[in-house]
This record gives sequence, C-alpha cells and structure tokens, in this order.
Amino acid sequence: MRRVFFIFLLFTFHLSLFTAVQAKVYIDITSPAAAKVPLAIYDLSGAAGKEISGILRDDLVFTGLFTCVDKAAYIESVSQPFSAANWTSMGIEAVVKGSVTEDKGLTVSIRLFDVTEGKEILHKEYQAEKDLARPLAHTIANDIYTVFTGQQGIFRSRIMFVGERRGAKDLYLSDWDGHRSRKLGLKASIILSPHWSSDGNRAVYSSERARRWGIYLLDFKKMTERRIFVSKGTNLAGDFFPDKNAFVFSSSKEGSPDLYIYQIDTGKLRRLTSSFGIEVSPAVSPDGGAIAFVSDRGGSPQIYLMRSDGSEVRRVTFEGNYNTSPAWSPKGDRIAFSGRRGGKNQICIVKPDGSELIQLTDRGNNEDPSFSPDGRYLSFTSDRDGAKGVYIMRANGESQERVTPKDLKAFGPRWSPR
Amino acid sequence: MKKLLVVFALVAFAAAGCAQKAVTKPEAEKTTEQKEAAEKAPEKVTEQKTAAKESVTSMEKETTGMEETEGLFKDLLFDFDKYDVKDEYKPELKSIAEWMTKHAGAKLSIEGHCDERGTNEYNLALGDKRAKAVKDYLVSLGVPSDRLETISYGEEKPLCTEHTEDCWAKNRRAHFVALGKAGK
Repeated sequence: MRRVFFIFLLFTFHLSLFTAVQAKVYIDITSPAAAKVPLAIYDLSGAAGKEISGILRDDLVFTGLFTCVDKAAYIESVSQPFSAANWTSMGIEAVVKGSVTEDKGLTVSIRLFDVTEGKEILHKEYQAEKDLARPLAHTIANDIYTVFTGQQGIFRSRIMFVGERRGAKDLYLSDWDGHRSRKLGLKASIILSPHWSSDGNRAVYSSERARRWGIYLLDFKKMTERRIFVSKGTNLAGDFFPDKNAFVFSSSKEGSPDLYIYQIDTGKLRRLTSSFGIEVSPAVSPDGGAIAFVSDRGGSPQIYLMRSDGSEVRRVTFEGNYNTSPAWSPKGDRIAFSGRRGGKNQICIVKPDGSELIQLTDRGNNEDPSFSPDGRYLSFTSDRDGAKGVYIMRANGESQERVTPKDLKAFGPRWSPR
Repeated sequence: MKKLLVVFALVAFAAAGCAQKAVTKPEAEKTTEQKEAAEKAPEKVTEQKTAAKESVTSMEKETTGMEETEGLFKDLLFDFDKYDVKDEYKPELKSIAEWMTKHAGAKLSIEGHCDERGTNEYNLALGDKRAKAVKDYLVSLGVPSDRLETISYGEEKPLCTEHTEDCWAKNRRAHFVALGKAGK
C-alpha cells in the first residue's frame, strides 16, 4: 500500500511540473518537509533602514520557511551590483538589497534577487510617514513572502487582546508581533473575549458594568462603543458569522447558559440550544455553516459541533475531562482548543471529525487559541513565565514566543482577519 | 480497492489544488510589471485612519444607583468544576432566607466565582451556574425570585491570588451583596 502511495506522490509531483512552467514555485507551503530558503538581507542605510531590515528578517524567519544568513558572511558589498557568483558557494538562494531616503517621510526601494536564476525578481518602492517604519517593513515582508510562496503574508495583521495594569482592564490592539500595542480606552472593570467581524472593522466583546453583563460592539472606524445586548444573567460574546450582520453568543437569560444568534440590525434573537448544562464559547466555521462550542452535557466540558441552525449536534473531543475555547482554522479543516492535560491547560488541535488530535504546548497553562488569517500560526494566552501574557507560535507548535510585555497581564488574544 | 479510490481522489484533489494555486503565483511578467511600477508609483503604506480619536467613546452611561452592602453573609464554597450547593451550607441558606423575610425591602445579589484553573469564558458560565444554584435553593425556601439577582464573575475577581489549592478553594465561591435599603 505504501508503495502505491509513493507512486501516486510521484504522479502529483509530475503534475506540479506542468504548473511550474507557468510560474516558478519557490516554496510549497503545503509541504511539511520543505527545505528552508537561505536568504541574505542587507542592512538598509540609516537608523530606519536598519530597523526595517531587522523586521524583514524577524518576519520571514518566524514563518519557518526561511533562514537568514549572518551579514558577516556576505562577500558582496551593498554598493556592488548583484552577482549570483558571490552567493552560490554560500548556498544562499535569494538576496534582498535596497535603499532608504529620509526626508519628510520614508521612501524605501527594495530589490530581491534570485541567485539560482541570476536575476532580479522584485523591484519596488514604498513610501510612508516616518512613524510608520514598522508597517512599511511588514508590507515589504508580505511582498517578499508572496514572491516565494504565491500566498498572501500576514505581516500587516493585528492581534486584539485584553490587557490589565494595576487592576484596570482595557482592550489592546497590537501588530501581530506585539509591537505598536495601544490601549483602546474602554472604561470598564471587566472585559472579556473580543471577536473580530470578518471585515476587521468591528469587534464584539462582553463587559460587566453595573452588575450586568452586556455585549458591546466596537466600531474601529468611528472609534465608538455601543451596547447591543443586555439582559439578566451572563452574556458572553460570541462570534460573528462571515459577511453577515449577526453573531452567535452564550446567554443565561433563560436560566442556564445557552447559545443564541443575534441579528444586529433587527435585534432579532434566535435560540440554538436548550439544555440544563452549560453551553458557551461558540465559534462559527469559516463557511458559516457550523458552530463549534463547549458543553458540559456529557458530565465534563467538551467541544461539540452543530450546524448553524442548531441541528446535528455531535461531540468532537473525548480525550481529557476539560476541553474548552474552540477556534476554527481559516480553511475549516482544524479546530484549536484548550485541553487540560495532567492538570494544566494546553493548546491542542483536532480535525472537526475528532481525529488527528495533536497537543502543541507543554509549559504552564495555555488558553484562548486563535488562528492567523492564513492558518499558519496561532496566538494564545500562557502563564508559563508567571503572569498571563499573549504568545504566538506556528500551527505545528514551533517557535513559541511571548509578544506582550512582562509588566502587562494580557489574555484573550484574537488574531485579526487580513 | 476502496483505499485506492481514496488515494485517486486525493491525487485528483491535489492536482486541482496545484492548478488553482498557479493562478495566484507571481509570474515572470508580473515581476516586470512591478519593475515598471517601481519607477512610476511607489506603494504608499498607510494605516486605516480612525476618527482621529485615541480612545473609544462609549455611547452608554451605566450605574446601578444601588447601595451595596457586603459581609452580611459568609461565602459558600464549591468543589472544582461543580455547581451543586453542598448540604453543609443549607442551614446558612435557611438563615439568609429568614433575613430576607425580615428585611422586606432588601434585594440580594448572589455572585458566582471560580478559581483560576479553568478557562475564562467557561468559568463565567460556571460562576453563573453556581450563583443560580444558590438562588434556586433560596427560592425553594420561599424567597421571591424577583428579590434575588445573580451575576457571574468567573475567575475575574479572585479573593485570594496565590496559586495554591487553599487559595483556589476560597475562590470557588458564592458571595452575597445586599442591594438598596438592605444595609440600613
């Protein structure tokens, strides 16, 4: 059987040769064993240039698809024209050169060279205000990433999370790498679980004010906050349906925490579950057709799945006695969740049919997983270094790193859509 | 045979995937286009401009307008991940019910709390169930349900902040706050 499979692999490889005629494929990101591409990225001139080069290296190396060769090893000087011969012996496959002009703003010119082909494969100029050097660098990283993979990069995406300093909680928004984090200035003592709308212009979250749990809608364009739902009991947002003005949330207004769909423009409410137990943390599948959620109907909190109309409920997780906070991968082929293993919560992923369960973390407690828009990375909360903070990692568990500062208690991260 | 068919289907799928992807792959021509574009118009990197405001403006003003009195009754504790009221607390709940009868103008808010080990959202649902379980018991003792409010704080307001079983046990609690004229 294995041999037959191998033959078919060869067959698919053969097919991919045909497509290679149309465009050069540098990295097939769907292949788990793809070799990393060694890059040489020069320091661009000036302080801003150096910062930008550093960001390019950090972004590209974090993907796990590239390595950056130490600058000390470069034979070619920045001013010399690109010559493939200077790089082949070092095994470097691509070289990034460029220049920076600083006047009122920043103008950056970037050239990307393919060593094997001996030619320029990207030449582009970028302009930005001086305080936007980081987004400018992330934009360049996105372009380089696209040249190599044919996919959109996530380096301009952001992470929204709840932060707490000296007992005061607020929503924070930062770049995906934790930089340029800023507080949104909400006046509330408790804020929980923000969720993005699919266009990234709005968010819903729960907040307890004056002894009532309300669901609030934040409009990023107007920078306003509006309470859109409040009732007796605990109201916990909730997840938007893709491209619809509606979200699903958990409310105990009828006694026990159950799931409801709320239509924002009409205020119409539709009940999806009714059980004696707890129903919480609904997550809408990327196609809008299914909802993953947590229920203790079987005696312990587990991940369940149902259609968006509440029908066909089935259990997804069976391993462990405490599985919560489900989140969908953007393709809908995986569900990440927090599962208690040996007394601590760990980030796990599983296929929606319950198969191929993999545990990704093993230090401290790890909660609130959220996929990046391309599904290649996850953000999550961890207390592995003491106080809770926001961490990111590749979706295979590699490269786990903290992105929020040590003096900020941070949790509930949600990766933005693009 | 069935397995073979599956493999066939996978291969066909993978092949289709490749063909589709090729469309989005950068082509040699596109690179030249970009090269030309570089001389013409640089990409302007900007950020989505918000309404020139640093902070979110809330459209709501929320206050209870109620006087709150704590410490009239002791906390009731729960087992890990459980929301049933333990028998040992039934005498205490009986005395709360009697107090409610004597103070006819009083309302009682029952807060449900959890330890930090669960996940935040699930803990809020769990705290909700704990508060409701206490409320249901008081209602069964004759306290009118409209004089009992419940609110869950999950793990958001711990009483004790150490990471020990002693501390966690104290945090898994139902806490009572008398509202309105009760304190007087």
